[in-house]
Amino acid sequence: MIKRIFAGMICIAVTVMILCGTFLIGILYDCFDNLIYTELQNQAYFITNGIASDGDAYLNRIIQSENRITLIRPDGSVSFDSEYDAESMDNHLDREEVQKAFASGEGKSVRYSDTIGTQTLYYAKKMDNGSVLRVAAEMDSVWVLVLGVVQPMIFVLICTAFIAAILSQVTAKRIVRPINNIDLSNPEFDEPYEELAPLVQKIRTQNSRIQEQIQELRRKRAEFSIITENMSEGILIVDKKTEILSYNSAALRFLDVTEEDAARSRSVLEVNRNESIRIAVEQALKGMNCEQLMTAGEMCYLIAANPVFHGDGISGVIIIILDVTEKEKREQLRREFTSNVSHELKTPLTTIYGIADMLCGGIVKPEDTKGFSETIRNESHRMMLLIDDIIKLSHLDEAGSDTERYPLNLLAMAKNVADRLSYTAEKAGVTVAVKGIDAVIEGIPAVIEEMLYNLTDNAIKYNRRNGNVTIIVMEENGQACFSVEDTGIGIPKEEQERVFERFYRADKSHSRKIGGTGLGLSIVKHGAALHKAAVTLESSEGRGTKVSVVFHPCV
Amino acid sequence: MRNRFDEMQEKLHVEMIKMGALCEDAITCAVKALLDGDTTMIQKAFAAERAIDEKEREIEAFCMQLLLRQQPVARDLRVISSALKMISDMERIGDQAADIAEITKYTGNSPDFGKMHIKEMAIAAVKMVTDSINSFVKSDTNAAKCVIMEDDKVDALFIQVKSELIRLIAESPGKGEYCIDVMMIAKYLERIGDHATNIAEWVEYAVTGVHRTEEENV
Repeated sequence: MIKRIFAGMICIAVTVMILCGTFLIGILYDCFDNLIYTELQNQAYFITNGIASDGDAYLNRIIQSENRITLIRPDGSVSFDSEYDAESMDNHLDREEVQKAFASGEGKSVRYSDTIGTQTLYYAKKMDNGSVLRVAAEMDSVWVLVLGVVQPMIFVLICTAFIAAILSQVTAKRIVRPINNIDLSNPEFDEPYEELAPLVQKIRTQNSRIQEQIQELRRKRAEFSIITENMSEGILIVDKKTEILSYNSAALRFLDVTEEDAARSRSVLEVNRNESIRIAVEQALKGMNCEQLMTAGEMCYLIAANPVFHGDGISGVIIIILDVTEKEKREQLRREFTSNVSHELKTPLTTIYGIADMLCGGIVKPEDTKGFSETIRNESHRMMLLIDDIIKLSHLDEAGSDTERYPLNLLAMAKNVADRLSYTAEKAGVTVAVKGIDAVIEGIPAVIEEMLYNLTDNAIKYNRRNGNVTIIVMEENGQACFSVEDTGIGIPKEEQERVFERFYRADKSHSRKIGGTGLGLSIVKHGAALHKAAVTLESSEGRGTKVSVVFHPCV
Repeated sequence: MRNRFDEMQEKLHVEMIKMGALCEDAITCAVKALLDGDTTMIQKAFAAERAIDEKEREIEAFCMQLLLRQQPVARDLRVISSALKMISDMERIGDQAADIAEITKYTGNSPDFGKMHIKEMAIAAVKMVTDSINSFVKSDTNAAKCVIMEDDKVDALFIQVKSELIRLIAESPGKGEYCIDVMMIAKYLERIGDHATNIAEWVEYAVTGVHRTEEENV
C-alpha cells in the first residue's frame, strides 16, 4: 500500500512539474517576443527621429547597432542595410512586415530559419518621407530555448523528484500507519478512516465468528481427548501414509512407547512394527476391516483396524487396541478344561467299552465275570463322581450372590465332615481331629460343606499311614477361618500355584490309584470365591500341606 | 517439488521399516523353530524370506526412481544410497534366516543342543537385528554404535560354539553330521550379526556422512 501511494504521488509530482515547465516555457517565450518587439519599436522610433533630424548620416553612425536596420524605399528597393550591401539586395516589397507598414504605417512579422535554428523578428515602420524603416532582431527559436532550459530543468526535476519522493514516502507511511496500528484482536478497535468502516465491520464479524469456531473446536477437542483418554481401549488414528494423527495414552501403554517417541514419529510403523500391526494397517488401507491378535511378552492384544472412507478414497485408518490378555487366558483355560473333561470321561468309557465288548463276544470265562463287572462298576462310579464334580463346578460358576445364605457353625460342620470321612480315614490309617471354637459365618451350606469335605478328603488321600489330619476352626480379628492340615506327601513348590486348576494333579503317577477327579481343589477355590473368602496353601514336600480358608467378616 | 521429494523419502522410510520388520520376523521365526522345535515357524520363515526378496526389488526400483527423477544431493543422496546398501544386507539376513530354518528341519531336537551356547548366540543375533532396525527407524547413532559393539559378543560366542562342537565330535564321532549342521547354523547366525552391523554402519553413514571404513582408513 505504501508503495502504491508512493508511486502515485511521485507520478503526480512529476507530471505536474513537467506540465508546469512546459507552460512556463511557453509563457516566457511569449514575454520575450513582446519584449523584443517593444525594443525594436523603440529603436525604430529613435532611428526615425534620428533620420528626420540628421539625415542618412545618422544611419552610418548607428551601423554598430546589434539589430539589423534596413531602409526600404517606397518602390521596395533597399536603400540601406546595416549588415549587408544594400545594392545587392532584392526587392523587399513582398515582405510581410513591409507590406503591412506601407499599408498601415507599421507591421511586424516573424520568420524562422530552420537551418540555423533561429528566428528573426521584424518590425517595420513607415517614415514621413514615404520609405520604410525596418529593424530586425535575431533570437533563438523556441526549441533552442527549450534545449537550453532543459538541462537546468532536468536538474530541478531531479531535485524536486527527490524531495517529492521523500515527502511522499513520509506521507504514505503516515497514511498507512493508523491502518497498521489497528488491533484486530481487540473487538472494540476504532477505524482510523471512515472509508474503512465497512471493512472493519466485516473484520469484526469475522473475528467474532472465528473466536466462536475456535471455542467450539477447543471444546470438541477437549471432549474427544476426555473420551479417548478415559477409554481402556487404545486408539490410534493414522493417515493413508501411515502417519500418526492422534493417539491416546492407553494405546501408548499397550504398545509400550513413550509420549515423545509417539509425537516425534512420523509413521505408526516407527512406533511399532509388529507383524500384526503391519498386516492390520496394510489391510485397512486396502479398505478391509482387519482384526489381528498381537502378543507382546505376557500380554495379548486384539488389534482392530478400520479404514476411514472420506470422499471416494480411504483417507486413513482407525486402530483400536484391546487388552485381551484375560480373555485369552480364560479362553485357553476353557479349551484346556474341555479337552481335559473329554479325556477324563473317555478313559473310563474306553475301559467299560472294552470289557463290554469282550463280554458280548463271549470270550470271558465265567469265573472272570465278577472281576470284570467290578471294573465296570468302579469305572462307571468314577465317571459319575466326575460328572457330579463337573456339575458342582458349573453350579458354582453359575451361582451368584442370589443364592440364599444361612448362618452356619463352621465347627459343627467340620465335625460332621470328619464323621462322614471316618471310614475312609480308618481305611487309610489316618486320624482326623477337629479343633477350635464355634465360628459362625453367612454362607451356602452345601458349598461350605463341599469345601470342607474336599479338603479333608484330599488330606486323607494324600497322607501317609498313621498320619494326622487336623481341622482347625478359629476366629481372628473378626474373620472366621478354617484350615485343614495334614502330614502327607506335600506339594512341590512349583506346582502349588497350579493345583487349583481344574484336572491338575500334583502327583500324576499315583492319582489313578488314589482316585478322585482332579476337580476337588478347583471346587474349593470356586466356593471360596463365591463367599469372597481367601484360600492360602502352605506346603513343604514330604512334610505336609496346610490349606486355610479365611472368610471376610459378615457385613 | 521439494515437498513431493519429502513425501517420497517418507515413503522410502516406511517401506524400509516394513522390510526391516520382515527381517526381524524371518530371523525370529527361524530362531523359534531352532530353539523350540516349532515346525510351523519354518514355513513362516520361508514366507518372510520371499516377502523380503520382493520388498528388496520394490525398494531398489523406488530408490532408482528417486535418484533419477529427483537427483538428490548431500544428505538426501546419502540417505538413499545407504538405503540401497542396507536393503542388500537385509536381504542377506532374510536368506540366512531361511537357511537356518531349512537346516532346522533336519537337525531336530537333540539333548546335546542345550549344552552348547548356540541358544545364547541365536538370541544375541536376533537382538542385534532388532536393535539395528531400531537404530534405523529412529536414526539413532548411539543405538547403531551399540549394535556394532554387540557384534564382538556374537563373534566370541561363535568361537565358543565351534570349540564345543569340536569337543563333541571328538567324544562321539557318530554325531558328525549333526555337528556340521549346528556349525552351519552358528556360521549363519554369525553372518547375520555381521549384516546387522553393516546396517548399523550405514545408519551412521546416513546420519553423519562418515562411514566407519573411511574413518579407519584415514
